[in-house]
Amino acid sequence: MNSSILTIENLNVYFDVFGGSVSAVRGLNLTLDHNESIGIIGESGCGKSTLSYTIMRYLAPNSRVTGKVMFREDNLLEKTEQEILAFRGNRIAMVYQNPYSSLNPALTIGFQLDEVTRFHQKASKEKAREKSIQALTSLNMGDPEGLVKRYPHQISGGMQQRVCIAMALLCQPDLMILDEPTTALDVTTEAVILDLIRDLKDKYAMSLMYISHDIGVINKVADRIVVMYSGEIVESGPNEELFAHPHHPYTRALINCIPREGLVKENFRLNTIPGYVKQRGTDEGGCPFAERCSMKVAGCIERYGMREVGEKHAAACDRAYAADVADSFAKLKVSRSKQHADHTKPILEVQDLYKHFGKKRKIYAVNGVSVGVERGTVLGIVGESGCGKTTMGQTAVGLYTPSKGRILFNDTDISVSWKKRSPEMLKQIQFIFQNPGRSLNPSHTVEQIISRPLKKLMGISSREERKTRIIKMLEQVGLSEEYLSKKSSHLSGGEQQRVAIARAFCLSPGLIICDEPTSALDVSVQSSVLNLLGDLQAETLAAYVFISHDLHVINYISDYIMVMYLGRVCEYGTREEVMQPPFHPYTEALLSSVPEIDPSQKKRKIRLGGQLPDPAKKIRGCPFAGRCHMQIGTICETQPPPLVKFSDTHSLSCHLDFPDAVREPAGEATG
Amino acid sequence: MNFTFMIIKRLGSLVVTLVVMSVVIFLLVEIMPGDVAEMILGQSATPESLEALREERGLNDPVFTRYLRWAGGLLQGDLGESIYMRGVPINTLLWRRVGHSMLLALTAFIIFVPLSIFLGIVAGVKAKKTADSIISFLGLATMALPEFVSGVFLISIFAVQLRIFPIISVIPIGESVFSNLDILILPALSITFVMFGYVSRMQRSSMIQVMNSDYIRAAMLKGMPRRYVILRHALKNAMLPTITIIGMNMGWLFGGLIVVETLFAYPGMGSLLMTAIRTRDVPLIEACVLLITVVFAVSTLITDVMYGFLNPRIRFQGDVQ
Repeated sequence: MNSSILTIENLNVYFDVFGGSVSAVRGLNLTLDHNESIGIIGESGCGKSTLSYTIMRYLAPNSRVTGKVMFREDNLLEKTEQEILAFRGNRIAMVYQNPYSSLNPALTIGFQLDEVTRFHQKASKEKAREKSIQALTSLNMGDPEGLVKRYPHQISGGMQQRVCIAMALLCQPDLMILDEPTTALDVTTEAVILDLIRDLKDKYAMSLMYISHDIGVINKVADRIVVMYSGEIVESGPNEELFAHPHHPYTRALINCIPREGLVKENFRLNTIPGYVKQRGTDEGGCPFAERCSMKVAGCIERYGMREVGEKHAAACDRAYAADVADSFAKLKVSRSKQHADHTKPILEVQDLYKHFGKKRKIYAVNGVSVGVERGTVLGIVGESGCGKTTMGQTAVGLYTPSKGRILFNDTDISVSWKKRSPEMLKQIQFIFQNPGRSLNPSHTVEQIISRPLKKLMGISSREERKTRIIKMLEQVGLSEEYLSKKSSHLSGGEQQRVAIARAFCLSPGLIICDEPTSALDVSVQSSVLNLLGDLQAETLAAYVFISHDLHVINYISDYIMVMYLGRVCEYGTREEVMQPPFHPYTEALLSSVPEIDPSQKKRKIRLGGQLPDPAKKIRGCPFAGRCHMQIGTICETQPPPLVKFSDTHSLSCHLDFPDAVREPAGEATG
Repeated sequence: MNFTFMIIKRLGSLVVTLVVMSVVIFLLVEIMPGDVAEMILGQSATPESLEALREERGLNDPVFTRYLRWAGGLLQGDLGESIYMRGVPINTLLWRRVGHSMLLALTAFIIFVPLSIFLGIVAGVKAKKTADSIISFLGLATMALPEFVSGVFLISIFAVQLRIFPIISVIPIGESVFSNLDILILPALSITFVMFGYVSRMQRSSMIQVMNSDYIRAAMLKGMPRRYVILRHALKNAMLPTITIIGMNMGWLFGGLIVVETLFAYPGMGSLLMTAIRTRDVPLIEACVLLITVVFAVSTLITDVMYGFLNPRIRFQGDVQ
């Protein structure tokens, strides 16, 4: 008996566009066995999503498809519109990246669940509701009867994604396609959802096709990894094998882009992949990666093609560790000194900062944070969304004024709105936002964007002088003079972020607040932006407050790390101190949730149940109490935890007994 | 804050709006040139008789007193007396006209709302296909024609050439509008011409937007038939902007029909207001404008309630966890 669920043979997908056609998927062969789970990785634009929509037969009208997509004995490509309905949502189900926008805001969750069985199994209303409730229960959702009556906006993102998964499970499909289902979620929620997916796969004996740009995530759910580049599969193999011995240079380059344990800015630059994924016309052939490949040779054109390179391991190229090319990854080892850091006096000092929003229903965003940032160092702030890290950053730049507490910059009190700050102060503190596409005016040219602060804050009135400075700055961020007249909407995400960085640095600021500057970018672009930020910092000795939810990124770039939970500091210390035990239980949970890109690494599993407590409630004890795996008793809920000091720099707030620590009584200490 | 509470709050603010508007209307009419006493007495007025009339009618009282008297009358249902028609109570004059206008507005509403929403949906679902091109062209063409042009067109085709409907929409003396319902069709059609373009274009673009959304894709990929997805998933969301547009135009539809009513000589509010302005009939102007304000405010409220009904995010504001 043929045990494969899905067999794709020589699949080609073209899109007819103005002036020709581009190929989105080409010559793709793939087999997925019963109860097997594969992960598909690649940068954006590599055709991962197009592949999944081709299987679902949901492509734009300007597409043309050739080849075979065999689902068991049926060729899905030959089905009529009517026939394909019986597969969608029934035999093949899909879960999407953004659960919030994938649920209809105007219909109740119950209605959206029920219709799946009402259509596919012709279930009666009552029967359908019963099944929906069963599905929700099997995903460990509390109060399913209440849940079905609610609307999507009334539940959290993690719950929404579980509803979407329950919806996909209703007809117990043979194949489940997951398109970046955890990208929009917090790491702690992500870890829980990934465990759940893994369990469900075995429980229902499903096959999984998991699409992601994150190798770490793929490792957790997939048995086999498929690497896609520009619409082609360039390598596929078992996780460990692929990670340990990548054959294709693209696989190797991609793995090396990702910050991970042990990589820190002082001794390592991240690998970058020059250029970007180009759309290819139908008549172009050969190795799609050749243009960006650092290991190409004259023989590449003839040698290209998928071949067996090991057991179950196939690759289109084997030059990843070719002997005849110099190892380009060696040059990634650098040493950036941090001796210039001035440890005597902080450049930014936050003293017992509180920020509350709202009048009637108060939201306690930041609750008594005290921290200092030393000149020329990077303070990384991590925490789940809603922990107050962004509010902290925005209060420091003056977008908000503190409710209580003070912020000092070089001993000057700046606890006021930016409108009341001197031009010199505005110049000194700069901001880089998460989404450059939305924070740069799309109709302004690069020159206009960078020149405005030069004129307003630096008072450079001569256009020529500004231009010279801008060109110099653009070169520093790796862009050339020709970018001057380009509009920001015509740039790629990485280029936009470089412009945003140039805009911030052209004022030679003392402090830059970076709020998730890389989380909207592809991993290869993220690594080049992180390298750039590392270089510029070593050159200019500016201090950063670097806000991110990604612990690997924080670990790479930071000198000091502050872990926040619900507007309070859980743990603070140098990078080494925070990343190693003793841990605050929350830090430990965060670290254990982070997906590892090295599949051979196994670590302790701590899963946080529940979600952040309501930020509108005043908390007397430890804010983390309800979710903590180390909770020692009611003391956690009733008394604020004491500050436990391990060294001059390392401290955390917890009731746990740590040996060799100095305890300070709770009080005005950060709770 | 729940939805019922929100409606109560909105009702409260409606009252405030009306009070403020009544003041504004009163003051605006107050600064209009012309004097009521002179209007009443006309050419034959002597300074003494004018003064006597002013005293008798309380026109010499301070503005504030006069406003209170007027507003007090309004609260008791007394809209005052028409000056031009020599003391006929406005109540007997106005409400009949209001009834006529409402009937015309309702007829137009019944024609244009389903028609433009339906065609807008068709155009949105079939975007960039032939059906869409035809509907969009019709919408733009009718939108570009002012109502007096389209009205004349309609009259010359349906009344003069085909002789299906009467040329003018007057109600014969002694008869009610209900025995002459055919007079409503042409004015209602020319209103439809004006509204169709706006409403169907709005419906089309919101339909296109909704059809491209992630949740429609998700519903399609659950294996639901396309027709079902459009009716159950898309429609409720795609109606929201259209309802706002319709609601905003309800006030206009009721009070702003001056051109259409004049063109067809239809005895509604619009032509009454027109007469009142031409004859400087101050109390009548005030009554008409205030009534139009009330319709505006109430239709906005109805729009918001409808909006909340279709959009649970409004209905359940505040109890987001």
